[in-house]
Amino acid sequence: MSGDLFISLLAATILAGTPLLYATLGEMLTERSGVLNLGVEGMMLLGAFFAFFVEMKTGNHWLAVLAAGLGTGCIGLLHGVACLVFQGNQTVSGLALTIFGVGLSDYLGAPFVGTLTEGFQPFPLPVLGQIPLFGPVFFQHNALVYLSYLMPPLLWLFLNRTASGLTLCAAGEYPDAVSAAGASPNRMRWFGIFAGAFLVGLGGAYLSLCATHMWTYNLTAGKGWIAVALVIFAFWRPGHAVLGAWLFGGIMALQLRLQALGANIPSSLLMMLPYALTILALLWASARGRGRGAPAALGENIAPGA
Amino acid sequence: MEQNRAACAGKERMEGIRPVVRLEGICKSFGKVRANSNITLDIRPTRIKALLGENGAGKSTLMSILAGKSRPDSGRIYVDGLPARFRSPKDALEAGIGMVYQHFMLVEAMTVAQNILLGQESGIINPRGMGLRVRELAGRYGLETDPDALVADLSMGERQRVEILKLLYRDCRVLILDEPTAVLTPPEISRLFDALRRMAEDGKAVVFISHKMKEVLELADEVEILRRGEIVDSFLREEVPSERELAARMIGRNLEPRIELVPVKKGEELLRLEDARCEKVESVSLSLRRGEILAVAGVAGNGQKELVEMLTGLREPAGGVLSILGRDWKGFFHAPVRRKDGLVYIPEDRKGLATCPALNLIDNFVLTNRRSFTNGPFMDWKRGEAATRDAIREYSVQPPDPSAPAGSLSGGNLQKLVIAREFYRRPRLIVAENPTQGLDISAMEEVWRRILAAREHAGILLVTSDLSEAVTLADTFAVMYGGRFIDVFPRDDAAKVNAIGLMLAGIKPEEHDGGEAAGT
Repeated sequence: MSGDLFISLLAATILAGTPLLYATLGEMLTERSGVLNLGVEGMMLLGAFFAFFVEMKTGNHWLAVLAAGLGTGCIGLLHGVACLVFQGNQTVSGLALTIFGVGLSDYLGAPFVGTLTEGFQPFPLPVLGQIPLFGPVFFQHNALVYLSYLMPPLLWLFLNRTASGLTLCAAGEYPDAVSAAGASPNRMRWFGIFAGAFLVGLGGAYLSLCATHMWTYNLTAGKGWIAVALVIFAFWRPGHAVLGAWLFGGIMALQLRLQALGANIPSSLLMMLPYALTILALLWASARGRGRGAPAALGENIAPGA
Repeated sequence: MEQNRAACAGKERMEGIRPVVRLEGICKSFGKVRANSNITLDIRPTRIKALLGENGAGKSTLMSILAGKSRPDSGRIYVDGLPARFRSPKDALEAGIGMVYQHFMLVEAMTVAQNILLGQESGIINPRGMGLRVRELAGRYGLETDPDALVADLSMGERQRVEILKLLYRDCRVLILDEPTAVLTPPEISRLFDALRRMAEDGKAVVFISHKMKEVLELADEVEILRRGEIVDSFLREEVPSERELAARMIGRNLEPRIELVPVKKGEELLRLEDARCEKVESVSLSLRRGEILAVAGVAGNGQKELVEMLTGLREPAGGVLSILGRDWKGFFHAPVRRKDGLVYIPEDRKGLATCPALNLIDNFVLTNRRSFTNGPFMDWKRGEAATRDAIREYSVQPPDPSAPAGSLSGGNLQKLVIAREFYRRPRLIVAENPTQGLDISAMEEVWRRILAAREHAGILLVTSDLSEAVTLADTFAVMYGGRFIDVFPRDDAAKVNAIGLMLAGIKPEEHDGGEAAGT
């Protein structure tokens, strides 16, 4: 493989990994607060639609991104109502949210299938973009990619270096300790659900604003599910999420390249690669981690008053 | 007005120190059970107060009200003389009142420093600055802990230190500790006591809940005794010279049986232990016959739980002779289920071991009687439901609805159902563990009557930490302390029955006289 081809593969890796990164960090934040939200796939699709729709109506990219975040955040709150208020089963509610999101985005988007929008265009960053190798790989993309570079350190800072982040993590580990310390674990969980869904929505916005620049059915193609698996793969650590998201982005990019090169492998096998790797990654993570890193109270409901 | 009532408490000598917190007329009921009735209590800075009482006397309920974890039905709380209302632990913490719960409220996956900071709502954490502050506090009270250590790696004693540091970090003026020594080793206990004394010297008020008389005498300045939700006695440490005096005050004077006991003719021997041992049980010997109730009395944590587990097959004995319904331990518990029907177990943990709270009454009734309700490999639910209905009627379980989930029943009704279920098989040997704990009077008497009636076909081993229950029901007493029976004696040995209080503290009456002479 020639050098240029290799660089373009790496650049494509970053592009393909970015929506995964947003969604993984979002789900991670929610899970650290103790709430399992399996609705990522559905929320991501809705985020993509919100972004597409606002972009189409206003032409303002950042407004579209904001709409995707806030809209998806509100969809996430449905999960909060089901689990935090009515003590519903988190797995069931999350699955329902995915089915709901897929159906709703298909329904709302049906009239617009094939409609093109402008979306974010790539622009190389000054100076950074000129660095050999690193420039083309990391710094000749669009604004949402650059924004995604800031997310893991910000999330790490929030979780590890702020008092509210600490309380949020404690709500996912031992909610009783949070109440005993005079704070409200439920409030932390509401925040975890909303902010997490907000990030998932940005992942969706990336798909319609930066990747396809148009609306079509099933934009996510299972990326939401990969994000759920990546949270486990990353042991609930933001830094590891970057590795995971880019690794999977790499597989996706490679799979496309191999198809384009006419490799003598059935394309359906190649398209299966990311999912096969998901299973392998989960096996590896659970063998190595023995559950380490999973919030102890993940998926457990707490009394609404707490 | 407040002053008048304070005088009623009878502590004129204490008037010099203004109470930091005052509880007045606190009442709290759970269903029909009165956990606290009309409790008035002053908590003063620089003093260490002990709340002494049996299990279920209402100590923990009272303190969780003070810590803002539960709300009283009536009564008032004053902080610095001003009325206060605690809606959550947050309100109590802001008033300077903090509690160390029996089950530690620590996040195991976090460091000591992170746990201490938990719940402070805003701001950026500076790990180094926090570490310094924690070390400084820890040094001042002798509570050394490594701020960067993971809580999961700490011993119970260290975890408790973290809990205390959490409260000190928030400048709590009143520290409440619920059974603080239950999980500690003896060196850790003396270290804890030193730290608590230093805090009191430093102007803090310390309240600790205990049922161990030795600790109370060692640590407390003031003692309040709770029995069945009421403060029955309150005095200064100096007024009680010895453990014997304290025991007498704790037990109270009227240890009269509360329902009439007509002895039943004793039958064959059903259970015999000779020098039986397991973890926490040093050596226990006993013999139980049909028609007999043998009460194992003792303060919780002296090996009763392990003894029960050994007798019910949950724990393997480490040695000694055990003969259960004529077979040895292995022979009995390794036999097929149908050959174990003669033994039943009424556990203390009604919603954990005894029942599945989410299943309905029929499921729970059939749970241990499955083989009576089968047709070949299939369950016969019709018969199951009929039997459950009969049991509900006979034991007057409320609500009389077989499809109600067991978890929705009150403690007393659930216990009646458990007893109905276990007695359905007409067992020959019954092991009952604190069968009336947390029940109201009528449910308690009902349970007692059932147990007495079961003597017709069974021998009963009653493990209880409620002395009045033991005195009411038992033909024979065994007082357990430190994994051994201090003494085993029949109910008509009045002298020994009167000395049960002492034996609970591990003192045998005859050796006690000598001991006291040496002490004075």
